[in-house]
Amino acid sequence: MKTIKRWGFRRGVQLPAPGPQAQVKAPTPYQWWLAALAAVMAVGASAGLIVFARGLVVTNLTDLVPWGLWIAIDMSSIALSAGAFLLCAAVYLLGLKQFQPVARTATFVGLIGYSMAMLCLVLDIGRPDRFWHALVFWNPHSVLWEVTMCITLYFTVLALETAPIVGHADWMQRRWPRLAHWLTEVHRIAPVLAVAGLGLSMLHQSSLGATYGILKARPIWYRPDLSVLFIASAIAAGPSLTILASMLAARLTRRAYVNDALFEKLAHYIGWVLVVYLYFRFWDAFSMTYTYAPGRTEGLSLLTSGALSFNFWVGEILLGAVVPILILLTPRLRRIPLVRMMALALVVGGVVAYRWDTNMVGQLVMLTYLPQEIIARYTDYVPSLIEFLTGAGIVAYGLLAFTLGVRYLNIVDHRAAPEAEHAVRLALAAGD
Amino acid sequence: MSKETVGRRGFLKALAAGITAAVSLRMWRNATASETAGTSPHKWAMVIDQSKCVGCEYCTQACRAHNDVPPTIAWNRVIPAGKVGDKDVFLPRPCQHCEHPPCVEVCMVGASYRRADGIVMMDYDKCIGCRYCEVACPYGARAFNWEAFTGPNPAVPTWGTPEVERRPRGVAEKCSFCYQRVDRGLALGLKVGVDPEATPACVVACPTGARKFGDLNDPESEVSQLLAKHPSYRLREDLGTGPRVYYLPAHEEVAG
Repeated sequence: MKTIKRWGFRRGVQLPAPGPQAQVKAPTPYQWWLAALAAVMAVGASAGLIVFARGLVVTNLTDLVPWGLWIAIDMSSIALSAGAFLLCAAVYLLGLKQFQPVARTATFVGLIGYSMAMLCLVLDIGRPDRFWHALVFWNPHSVLWEVTMCITLYFTVLALETAPIVGHADWMQRRWPRLAHWLTEVHRIAPVLAVAGLGLSMLHQSSLGATYGILKARPIWYRPDLSVLFIASAIAAGPSLTILASMLAARLTRRAYVNDALFEKLAHYIGWVLVVYLYFRFWDAFSMTYTYAPGRTEGLSLLTSGALSFNFWVGEILLGAVVPILILLTPRLRRIPLVRMMALALVVGGVVAYRWDTNMVGQLVMLTYLPQEIIARYTDYVPSLIEFLTGAGIVAYGLLAFTLGVRYLNIVDHRAAPEAEHAVRLALAAGD
Repeated sequence: MSKETVGRRGFLKALAAGITAAVSLRMWRNATASETAGTSPHKWAMVIDQSKCVGCEYCTQACRAHNDVPPTIAWNRVIPAGKVGDKDVFLPRPCQHCEHPPCVEVCMVGASYRRADGIVMMDYDKCIGCRYCEVACPYGARAFNWEAFTGPNPAVPTWGTPEVERRPRGVAEKCSFCYQRVDRGLALGLKVGVDPEATPACVVACPTGARKFGDLNDPESEVSQLLAKHPSYRLREDLGTGPRVYYLPAHEEVAG
């Protein structure tokens, strides 16, 4: 009998006697998947090095359209990470303990999402060497300052919330039992972290919308609705990604164990959140169709009949909201896992389309300032190859991190007894 | 069980208190943020007479030479603005040095700031290059250094050197009302807006005298006099930004 070395962490573990087929060593689909992600990441990293070496001149960004693909990825990954704060709040504040294993997955997805956003930002700012300025030099009047603070603090919260997940991993307990113990101990403050996470997330998920919404220079953005729409769409899309990723993992690997009943309940809830979102979205857009407002009217027609109209009608409204609402609110359809997964994938796609469209629409049309002619002028932007490659690299990093999480941290595992109960009692007892 | 319920309420109360505290802190900060630090006896402003501007772009070039602005960027653009009668009219556009500058409001690190005398400044050592200011400025007055500007500046003559440091790659830059000339002029006891050494380069270079610079707090200054005697307008006044650049519109009788 021979010992098979697999992926380092499993070194020395005796696996069942290999059959003759094991000696052929054809790469498994899992290995192909890892290799593909690694390749995309390598290309992305090389493209990223070019960005750092040559500067943002390698992008197709201009002084008229200074925010492009990276900002859209950044905004999308943050929105899609919203499952973490919602599920943690549900478990630790509302006491819906049965969702604890889903909150675990969501926390890990959130940690990945926020790190993706930070990677995007480091690429996107002109002086990545000065990223720390955002934390040292404060302008509390700036929405972006608040967003930066919240994101940094919330990333810390997510890291602490992930610590027990790492601590519970088999290989961690076997190799570094004391460290593993300390990491699991962080679970005692889970309710406190949930409160912090809820507060920080409500703040910055909304103010990411306000980042656009406060700019009077861009009339299509300048409306209070954007913060409401951003948080509403994040509340729908965040849990969608968590469930979709969990369901995919359960289908593709034996290392994920899911309780489909939990997902069904959450999917039902997502359906209603989408209804609320669509309601706000409808009145927001509909009210803009009355009276001509320079810049705003042109921006709206870019969405409804111009360059962004396919994204808007098909990506955001039809496939991103209407179809998922119909599926998720129809019990018969929602119960079919494949149909549910499709609906959730559409919600995820819808929020990405929404973030892209929102970011673009305010920059594709701008107002002149000549006194006699305050008129709309159009600009255009198509991301450069380097922007696409780095963006793909960042997405591949996210997928790889999730894959490895499923493999080594059991982040999709609904068998575990809810750790929550015990921890909450302890924390509350300490509080009283 | 009841203990737990109380505890949960306690958390929610703490959350509500936290949010209230955060919101009130923000409101308080917002109330004070637009107030510029310190006081100044001066209120610098520029007056541009469109009936005199012939669109020669000397101002743009003088600005490039004094401030080492790269050829790809213009702090001070001259924009064709139609005709009055049969004469072409132009709109020279420096930074508007707003009283309520959107760029200062949105800058998260405070690299854009407003001096008490009204000059909207850039701290190029603080800027992280997020470009929020570019998106926020209604006047397109800001430009980003997409690439490093190296080598000699074609706008700088062989017999002179720029007065300010060249900006590095990756920061936003804009017109500064030649604060370096204003400050040095005041230190030397010169009259800003009168003595060329104490006046922005574009104003000094203008061959037709279309641009004037001075102190609005001084009723005898040329800018105050011009604004008192002539109708003037500012760009996008509807936005409430309160620009400190005033335009005297071109009239047919003057143009003819």
